Amino acid sequence: MSSVPMEMKDSAVSSSKWLDAHYDPVANLYTFSSCITLADLHGDGENKLVVGDLGTGAGNMKLKVYRGTGLLSENTLLDLPTGLVSFLMDQHEPRTPAIAVASGPFIYIYKNLRPYFKFTLPNLEVNPLEQDVWNQARGDMIDPLTLKEMLEGIRDKADIPLSVRSLRFLMLEPQEMESYVNLHKQQPIRRQTVITCIGTLKKNMADDDAVSCLVIGTESQDIYILDPEAFTILSKMSLPSVPTLMDVTGQFDVEFRIIVACRNGNIYVLRRDSQKPKYCIELSSHPVGLVRMGKNVVVGCAEETMQSFTQKGKKLWTTYLPAPVTTMALLDLPTRGFQAILVALANCEVHVYRDKNIVSTIKTQDVVTSICFGRYGREDGTLIMTTKGGGLIVKILKRTAVFDDKDSISGPPIAQSIRLNVPKKTKLYVDQTMRERENAVAMHRAFQMDLSRLRLAAARAYVKALESSLTPMSTSLTEPLKMNAVVQGLGPSFKLTLNIQNTAACRPVMNLAISFLYDENLYSMRTAFFKIPLLVPGLNYPIDTFVECLSDKGISDIIKVFVLREGKSTPLLTAHINMPVSEGLALN
Amino acid sequence: MEVTLSMDPLFLAWSCFRRRKFQKCSDLCTKVLEDNPYDQAAWSLKTRALTEMVYIDEVEVDQEGIAEIMLDESAIAQVARPGTSLRLPGTSQGGGPTPAVRPVTQSGRPITGFVRPSTQSGRPGTMEQAIRTPRTANTARPVTSASGRFVRLGTASMLTHPDGPFINLSRLNLAKYAQKPNLSKTLFEYIFHHENDVKNALDLAALATEHAQFKDWWWKVQLGKCYYRLGLYREAEKQFRSALNHQEFVDTYLYLAKVYQRLDQPITALNLFKQGLDHFPGEVTLLTGIARIHEVMNNITSATEYYKDVLKQDNTHVEAIACIGSNHFYTDQPEIALRFYRRLLQMGVYNCQLYNNLGLCCFYAQQYDMTLSSFERALALVSSDEEQADVWYNIGHVAVGIGDLTLAYQCFKLALAFNNDHAEAYNNLAVLELRKGHIEQAKAFLQTAASLAPHMYEPHFNFAVLSDKVGDLQSSYMSAQKSEDAFPEHVDTQQILKTLRQHFSVL
Repeated sequence: MSSVPMEMKDSAVSSSKWLDAHYDPVANLYTFSSCITLADLHGDGENKLVVGDLGTGAGNMKLKVYRGTGLLSENTLLDLPTGLVSFLMDQHEPRTPAIAVASGPFIYIYKNLRPYFKFTLPNLEVNPLEQDVWNQARGDMIDPLTLKEMLEGIRDKADIPLSVRSLRFLMLEPQEMESYVNLHKQQPIRRQTVITCIGTLKKNMADDDAVSCLVIGTESQDIYILDPEAFTILSKMSLPSVPTLMDVTGQFDVEFRIIVACRNGNIYVLRRDSQKPKYCIELSSHPVGLVRMGKNVVVGCAEETMQSFTQKGKKLWTTYLPAPVTTMALLDLPTRGFQAILVALANCEVHVYRDKNIVSTIKTQDVVTSICFGRYGREDGTLIMTTKGGGLIVKILKRTAVFDDKDSISGPPIAQSIRLNVPKKTKLYVDQTMRERENAVAMHRAFQMDLSRLRLAAARAYVKALESSLTPMSTSLTEPLKMNAVVQGLGPSFKLTLNIQNTAACRPVMNLAISFLYDENLYSMRTAFFKIPLLVPGLNYPIDTFVECLSDKGISDIIKVFVLREGKSTPLLTAHINMPVSEGLALN
Repeated sequence: MEVTLSMDPLFLAWSCFRRRKFQKCSDLCTKVLEDNPYDQAAWSLKTRALTEMVYIDEVEVDQEGIAEIMLDESAIAQVARPGTSLRLPGTSQGGGPTPAVRPVTQSGRPITGFVRPSTQSGRPGTMEQAIRTPRTANTARPVTSASGRFVRLGTASMLTHPDGPFINLSRLNLAKYAQKPNLSKTLFEYIFHHENDVKNALDLAALATEHAQFKDWWWKVQLGKCYYRLGLYREAEKQFRSALNHQEFVDTYLYLAKVYQRLDQPITALNLFKQGLDHFPGEVTLLTGIARIHEVMNNITSATEYYKDVLKQDNTHVEAIACIGSNHFYTDQPEIALRFYRRLLQMGVYNCQLYNNLGLCCFYAQQYDMTLSSFERALALVSSDEEQADVWYNIGHVAVGIGDLTLAYQCFKLALAFNNDHAEAYNNLAVLELRKGHIEQAKAFLQTAASLAPHMYEPHFNFAVLSDKVGDLQSSYMSAQKSEDAFPEHVDTQQILKTLRQHFSVL
């Protein structure tokens, strides 16, 4: 407990419903809610925290087990875990649960924290055309480039997608193709899918310590239910889209419901006796979190809302949240008959909702990415969170904590009672309006006369600027250009960058040149004339050159830049660059 | 000739010095010294004359150069408490107008009514920004380093002496001169101001203060000045504090406040000024100092209060009048601002900026008959291209106000012709181009405006709106985020961000 910051203890504990049990900001745990669970792994009545750590995303994936505040064990995982559940797979004593880690197309089963079994998803059907093409490649009848063309043709048309091997081949550079084909052409083609989510389903009894089946959702839009002892597929159901989040209730032999949130933004409800989804809930945006509370489904959506539905798809309510949802979990205290929803938000807060009413708010030190509530050690109401920065937070619900339902704030919004700071109209203003009212005609005439005079002056200056191409943009129809110049450096050498842009809609400009006019006693330029490449519309072309200041007297001058067109003496554009005073002194 | 023959040349030189004919005074002294090289009076007078020629008021605010800003090694807390630091913009105590009403400088502070060193620059965020800003003398933006500027002043005075310097510092026996109080003070000022040799000046001051048994406050102040110039602020603070113990003096208070501002301790500086005001009630320079600090810290209302106090003491204080005027202008009371600017005009300030401000005030206070004539005067009085660009830009605003978009277009283009870096003109021109339906041009102008002035929120916001209309939601979102960075409270930006976020999340 030593790692709890002092000030947090002081301020939060006294009023909060939560005790700060442990906070380790550098626990190095990078995971999501699907890969975290609490289980009594050794049958000693003390629950451990089991985490599938994603590591850096490319390596260092670990299966970690925590006990109390310390790390108990670590197993290396071969691939990124996508889901982790604990389940009882047989009736043997002692009743210790097994851990199932889903990663890629495999499920790794651990018993007593030792690898026990590996289940592989059945292969999918391979496109016969693809098979043909690879057979030809094996017989060296076609070269890699033809192979590529044929595979591309299949990819565009076929109903059955290509295998990973072919897709990988299409990504390669031409020089790498040969060796790739030689390496792989002898092996048969396989097409595998990957697991996207995993859950458990009681086999035939509703008890807490009953044997459970594994329920897995795959990228191939299927749901499989596996037998816990033999690991055979008991049932297979198909969905219209790829499942991402899953909630399972019931017993396999009696009746069950699988609620699946899919990647197309729909939620499907599957039942025991149907191969196809029974109900469908269409959401207005992507689901981020899915929690079942009794008979209702609560979904956190990407558009910063939380919505509740019945299992038949009837919408009950919507709550608007202050920030995007990162993850959700169920807070279940069966001893006190209390259920609520934990919603972690991107603004470093965790809200506890009971129906649509917020009953508690927890501020965290970082954005929470995974959350889990349950029995940890010997304490029933423990909240475990891991953060984006790899931290681990453990909080304990006070036994005296009472959640009272208060309805959300009602009444007029606060903004109504804020007074706007509108300055008072001064007496001077009133006097001036009086003057305006009395001399309206004279004022109007004077203004109109001045205006015409000013228009004339402006037009004269404008024509003069146009004639000498003074403006930094040209409006001629053939070469609409824009230029601005930036001088960098402290002197005596400066870097002059000209940003030239063709502002035409689609026509490129070519045959342009740039020249400079400057006092040769003051400055010297490395290149005082150069050609501009073809200017593609809409892109900015920075052109650099270097200017050397020759004087040490602190004098500066103007350098004129002309953009010229070949064969025309008048410049298209002119820019006057006020050179800064050279601050540095040249070494003699 | 008759007169000069009959008059003592030293007396004549003294008289010239009092009439501020320093060149003549120095020539006369040179003649005296040619006759008698050991004439201490003539020697001393000549040093004073030469010093006066290049003298600058050290008390006035000076600029922080790029070297001081970028290579500042004293680590400050990254997130200072609101209202305790000069370096962080946005540590505003509220009450000031938003950037939507009052334009801001690169550092995110509202622009002031009176251009003085360090009002326009603030702290550039990156080295790139720091070396890119124009640094010509008349724009009052960051110079490379203070010492660079002083060296330049020094070399300029050297040009007038083709046959070598008057005093050869390297051959001077400082210890000897430090014993002679009548010579040492003028010699010090000569070394400090004319030669800009701070190291030798410091040596001389150290010897002299030792000779005075550390009891002469003047030498302590000079030591502090030397330390300040060398960047040894804590040592300078010690010397000034010690000098204040000997003798309460307004200048010393000002120097010490300058040190505290350099050390980024505005609250200490404010307390010091208030302490000074206890000893010198109603002292204008101290009051101005307080007002300036409040202004830099975005506390415009208190700044205005202190500027009003300044005016109670000195009702011809140009800076106070200008600042109060601009504050009234930006808080939606142009008719009162007009009063203040007219007062400046009565006082004989007669320049382009003033007429420009008068024109704007007249326009927004609905005194249309005087608006355009003021701008015409302003145009007639311009002294540089930048000023001309600003006047045309403001006329463009008036043209937009009366709905004459052709005139507005011409004016903004003229502003750009005179100042190619006028980001505001680029932005407004882009809006006009967009109204004409020239989307590519508008895009190019907005991109230029954004690159020229990353602190402005308008180009980013306009770009977000444009991209949103064209259907490029990704660029729109990115620009809106930049706009939010520049001006977090801007409601329209928030709205566009909200609709975009909704758009992205909805299926």
